[in-house]
This record gives sequence, C-alpha cells and structure tokens, in this order.
Amino acid sequence: MNRLSPELMATLRAAADDPVAYAQTWKTTHGGSVIGAFPMNFPPELVHAAGALPVLIQENRTPITEGRNLLAEFYCGYTRSVADQAALGQLDVFDAVVAADHCVQLLGAVDVIRWARPEKPVHFAQLTSAMDDAWTRPRVAGRIGELTTEIEAALGVSITSDTLTASIRMFNANRRLLREFYELRRSGRLRITASEMQVLVKSSMVMDIAEHTVALERLLDGIDPADEGQPDVVRLYLSGHFCHAPRPELLDVIEETGVIVVDDDLYTGYRYISTDVPETGDPFEALSSWYLERNLNAPCPTRVTTQVDWDRYLVDELTRSNANGVIVLMAKFCEPHMLYYPEIRKALEKNRTPALLIETEHEGNPVETLRTRVETFVERIRRQRMPALS
Amino acid sequence: MTVAQPRKDKAHRLSSTRVGGKLVADYWENIFTAKERGKHVVWYNGAALNPLFHAAGLEWCHGEAFAARLAAQHLEGPAQAAGAEYGYINELCSYARTHLGCAVLTHQNSNRSETGVVGLTDQQELASKLPAPDFFVNGYAGCSTGQQWDAMTYRVFDRALPLFNVSIPMLWGNKPDAGYMRGEEWIEVGKYVEGQLRELVDFLEYQTGRPFDWDALSESMSYIKRASELRLEGMELCRQAPTPATYWDWVASIAPINFLPGNQDLVDYFAGVKAEIEQRIADGVSAVENERYRVYFDGIMNWNKLGFLTRKFAEYDVAVVAGRYTHESFWQEPQLIDVDNPLLGMAQHYLLCPLNHGLKNLQELLLRRLDEYAIDGIAFHSTRTCRAMTNPQSMLARAAEAERGVKSFFFEGDVADASFYNDELFDSRLEAMLEAIDVQRMRSAV
Repeated sequence: MNRLSPELMATLRAAADDPVAYAQTWKTTHGGSVIGAFPMNFPPELVHAAGALPVLIQENRTPITEGRNLLAEFYCGYTRSVADQAALGQLDVFDAVVAADHCVQLLGAVDVIRWARPEKPVHFAQLTSAMDDAWTRPRVAGRIGELTTEIEAALGVSITSDTLTASIRMFNANRRLLREFYELRRSGRLRITASEMQVLVKSSMVMDIAEHTVALERLLDGIDPADEGQPDVVRLYLSGHFCHAPRPELLDVIEETGVIVVDDDLYTGYRYISTDVPETGDPFEALSSWYLERNLNAPCPTRVTTQVDWDRYLVDELTRSNANGVIVLMAKFCEPHMLYYPEIRKALEKNRTPALLIETEHEGNPVETLRTRVETFVERIRRQRMPALS
Repeated sequence: MTVAQPRKDKAHRLSSTRVGGKLVADYWENIFTAKERGKHVVWYNGAALNPLFHAAGLEWCHGEAFAARLAAQHLEGPAQAAGAEYGYINELCSYARTHLGCAVLTHQNSNRSETGVVGLTDQQELASKLPAPDFFVNGYAGCSTGQQWDAMTYRVFDRALPLFNVSIPMLWGNKPDAGYMRGEEWIEVGKYVEGQLRELVDFLEYQTGRPFDWDALSESMSYIKRASELRLEGMELCRQAPTPATYWDWVASIAPINFLPGNQDLVDYFAGVKAEIEQRIADGVSAVENERYRVYFDGIMNWNKLGFLTRKFAEYDVAVVAGRYTHESFWQEPQLIDVDNPLLGMAQHYLLCPLNHGLKNLQELLLRRLDEYAIDGIAFHSTRTCRAMTNPQSMLARAAEAERGVKSFFFEGDVADASFYNDELFDSRLEAMLEAIDVQRMRSAV
C-alpha cells in the first residue's frame, strides 16, 4: 500500500500546526511582510503578487483565556480562538489583516483585533454573498480593487497584472496537485488518512506556495501509481466544518473504527481547492470570476443562491466517491451550517445514505464518546452492506 | 429553576401604546386573510421594505416581526417544535428557527400533507396562520444569518418561489474618514443600495403585473417621516429625570414604526404617545416610581420577558430610558427622507440598522446616548442566538467605563427562546451594578 513520506509530512505538519511560527521564520529568512487573511473566500494570490506571504489565520489549539472576556461563549471555536490570539498578541506577526467574508461571528472577532491592536491595518473587503444578481460581479470587482489598493498601501508596493498572473498560476498549480491527492485517495491508489489530507491542505493555506508545491511534487514522486487499491471497506465522506480544521484526533478516531475516508467537502479540504482562477484575461477580473465560479463548483451555505444547492452537490459527490455514508462535522454555533443542515439531512434520507452528525468544539471534544457513536454508525452501515461484503 | 416574580409593579407604562397594540393586532388579522382576498403576499426579513410593498399593492409578512409576536404572546413553542423536528438546532437564531418553523407549518398546511409534527394542535393555529408567500425578499443588514435565512425559507417551500436579495453592505469603517453618517463609505454604499431598490421595484412590477405606484410610495413615506419625527420628539422628552416614559414603552412602539402601513393612523399613534408623555411631564408623573438609576439597554429585545423585565427593573428603582434596539433604528434619521424622491433616504436607513456598524460607530453612538440621557449604567442583554447584536458588547462596556465611568452588567437571554434566560444571575448582576453606582456616587459626593 502506498503511503506518504513521513519526513516530508513532518515538515508540512509543522507549518500546519504552528502557522505563526512558520510566518515568523519566513519573515526572518525572506525579509518580507506577512498578511493574515480570514476564511473562506479571500484570494491569497493578491497578497502573493505583492511579494508578501499570505497566511490563512487558523484556530489555535490552546484553551481560550483572554478571548473569553471579548467574545461570548456562544460563538464558534474559531472566532473565539481568533479573539483570544488577538488579545494575547499572537497575531502581531502579521503586518496587516484582511477579511472578505461577511460572517457575523467572524466580524466580531475581527473587530476584537481592531480593538486590541488599533495600530494594525485591518481591511474588510465585503464580497457580496448574494451570488445571483447582476450587480454582484461589479460589486465584487470593486471590492477586489479596493483590497488591492489597501494591500499596496500597507506594503508600499504595486501589484501589477503580470505579477498577479504569475501568482495565479502558482496557486492553480498547487491546487491541481492537491486535487491529484484527492483523486488518488478516491480511487484507492493511495492510502492517505483524513488527518494527513488535512495536513496537506492546511499547510497550503499557511506556507510559501512555491515551497509547498515542491513538497507536494516530492510526495507524489514517492508514490507508485500502479499500486493495488485497498480492500473493500466502509468508505466514508466527511462534510461541512467551515472556516477551520476539525481536530486531527477526531478524524483519527473515525478511521480507527476500520473505515476509510475517501472524500470530503470540508473547508480545510476539498472546498478550499475546488476551483482554479482563470489564467487568461485580466487577472483582477479573474479573481471575481473565481469567487463566483467556486460557489457553483462547491456550493457553500454562506452564499445565497438559487442556482445550485449544497445538498444536491453532496449527493452527487457521494456517487462520484462511491462513499457508503457521510459524517457531517459541524462546528458548534456555526449558523450557516445550522441553517442548511435540515436540507442536507432531507437529501441524505431521500438518497438512503447513512449519516451521522458530530458537533465539534474548541475545547472538550469527548473523543471516546465519539468513538462509540462512530463505531455504532459504521456497524449500521456494515449491516446494511452485509450481502455485498460477504 | 424557578423564576421569582417581582413583588410590586412600580412601572407606569404609557396607556397610549395600547392603541399601537390594537393596530398591530388588526394588521396581522388582515394578513391572515390575504389569500382569501386574492392578494399577492411577500415574505421578507430584515430592513423595513414595507413601504415598497405597500406601494406595489402587496400584503407583507415580516418574519422577525411575526416570530417576535409569537414569543411576546408565549406562543412560539409550536413553531419552534416544528422547526426542531425539521432539523434546526436550538443554537440557531431563535427568530429564524421560529419563523422557519412557521414556514414548515404553513407549507404543510398549503400542501395539506401529513406532517409528522407532533401534537400541540391548538397552539399551532397561530403559528401556522401565515398566508403562503408568492415570493420572498431579503434585505438584511449586518447579520449574515439574516441573509441566509430566506435562502432556507426558499428551500422549505421546495425551491419553487422567486427570491430577491437586497445586499446591504456593512458600515465597517475601512476608511479613516468613516463615522456615523459621514465619510466616503457612507456616501458610496447609500447609492449602491438605492440602485438595488430600483431593481426591487422592477421585480415587484414583474411579480404583480402592475406598474409601481411611485405616488403611493411618496405618500406612505411622508406619513412614516412624520411618525418618526413624533417618535423622536417623544424620545427626546425622556431625557429629563425622572423620565416620563421608558425604553419598554418604545419597545411597545417598535411594531408600528417597523412594519405598519404609512398612513394617518400611524401618525396619530405617535402623536398620541408624544401627547401622553407631554401630559405626564405637565402632571409630574414618572414612568418608574422613585427613579434612582437611569439605565441604557444594549441588546435585542427578549420578547418572552418583555413585561417581566419592565417590572423587574422598576422594582429596583431603575428607569431604563434608552437602548440601541429602539433608539438606533426604525427610521431614526427622518431628515434623510425626501418624500418626493425617497429611495436614497430609505436605502440609508436600511444601512443604519444597529447591527450594521463596526465597533467605532457603535462606540460613538453609545457615548452620545450616555450623555444625552444622563445614563448611570448599562444592561447588556447577551442575546444567546443573536451574535449580530452581541458582537461588540464586551468592548462597548469597556469603552463606557473608560470614557464616561459608566458601569454595566451582562445578563443572558434570547430574542425568542425563554430557555436561555437565568433569573438568579440577572438579579445578582443587576444588584452588583447598582451597588457599584452607589459607591461611585458616595465617592463623588465626598
């Protein structure tokens, strides 16, 4: 069975686990600026084209202390962690902070940054979330233009069409490689766990994209594509969990029950890499196109549209990945997910797809309780599939 | 947990607001028969778009308003049960899940399908009385959940009905010149939203098959503008101490200003409220017996506890005199309305929703109100499922203390879910704040 090189994975894992340390080291070695960005629709190419390192700000694993006094406990773990990191000065490594998504909880956390670090440039380029209207594209283009100006001002550089085009190509190449890993996993030619896949995607969110692409290429070089596939086991699909990554130990518990995760639509997963930016035409316009097309490719409940549906997308993806069941991972208090969940449930029931909902929190995820729930869920699938497996 | 009842009602609420209650009740009774009268019905959420619907000859149902009404009447249970059975989790905005529960019930009724929703038949009646919509319009400022909500209602109704979105950008304050109703950002977004309102008018014409009545819009907005002026004049009279009316009276007046038709009845209602306040001043009648503390209320209303909190604060000699929900919304800047060309002023009001500001604007507004109303303390309603209102509260509390020395306390509750309210915590925290104010006063007297 093919496995990924432990040495290379250790490098990527180190960056994924501690993006702030990675950014600090990068600043020292490259002498450049680092811009912190927020999920889920910020185009990192724009920062890269300015010669800076874009880092998608991650949830910190440490318990929340100072942030507890700044955002209420009924906010998602990610936003509370961001508020905590801001209050503790852990985001000081970033020379500026940018956001593009209008999530009410996220903006609460961003306002904490403005309050805790008033000297820090913070820009919110509100990309319109209603996707179907004639005025959406020009509005989005306007915000990308504004964002460009703000980044240029913060860094004292100009972003040209040529540099942006080059950055777009680099990020597209990286996304294509990551999608190759997805295809290898889906087809069974590569045994890659859910937590390993998370490392690959998460590290791409925080690392120098050129360095990350080299690491991915080396990982792929070590794989024998002719290798045999895996035996017939229960194949699961992971769905949901926007903005931040579910804890790796949770993903490990799922696969410790003897199943394999074959695909996902997680944000720190396929959703992040689903769509490339067009490489022809005006590159600034291309970022608008990317924003709009991405939601058609992988519909997101944070965007308002009648053109596509996340539930229908999910059912189609289950077919594509030949999955036997879905585990829905929901970050507790995530409102768009809570709003959309009944539609997902309806669609999966109609499709006769076994599904299990797991709510995650910043602290206190009851791993052993989850193990029992997942084992029961998997047993249910096995019994349904008994004739096929016997 | 048992909820202790306050011993004596020391709150003297305005009697004129009962007229508003009757107007609102009549409005809903009329809505319930919309289909029988062959009317087109729009379901909408967020901004007060009703003058546009009025001028288009529609009947309009404001989702939050109906959810609030159910909660205020303690009739939210069946809708929330239907929502829960459909799959909505109880940490979701309780306005949204109450209204979506209504949508589930209404859709089931209109399809006459077997529901599977358990029991509660009698109480269901009101929750399921909303006429089925012909289309949806969403114009939600500040709250992303509000924007996503109607996309879900659209799906509850089998993706079969048109949905129009008015995208209202946040007044985030990116630019150095940004502030409350000033700066480049304020000018630019007003025009952007105005443009969308013109598109909405086209949409309404298409849906109704009738030309839009611009004269009717101007007429409606002229009444709303006058009602708003009277409302603000009444509020201004409450700057004196003891106050002749309280925040709770203004809460009772939200529904009329928020969604009733712009007509003479609306103007008469607010003229009546103002007249009663003036009469109280003339007669020396205060809204709270023995007013000793003047408090500002930050947070969205806890509709389940409206009467309870009115009595509770008064019991402690606290006059709640102003609040973000009542004083920073609902056509609160009538000078912006040009009745001959009202769209820009309407757009600007939609932007001025109190959920739609960054921290800087909210600090500015809070400090202004603290000064205007000589506030001693702030009650922060940490509204469990309304993150949009709760967002800046901790930082606002610190700003009030640092800039004005004003104390505050936090209590947990919710807009339409009574289970999140904790009475024991409320009492002890309010008492702690009042003691801190007493100490502050003693020190300043020395």
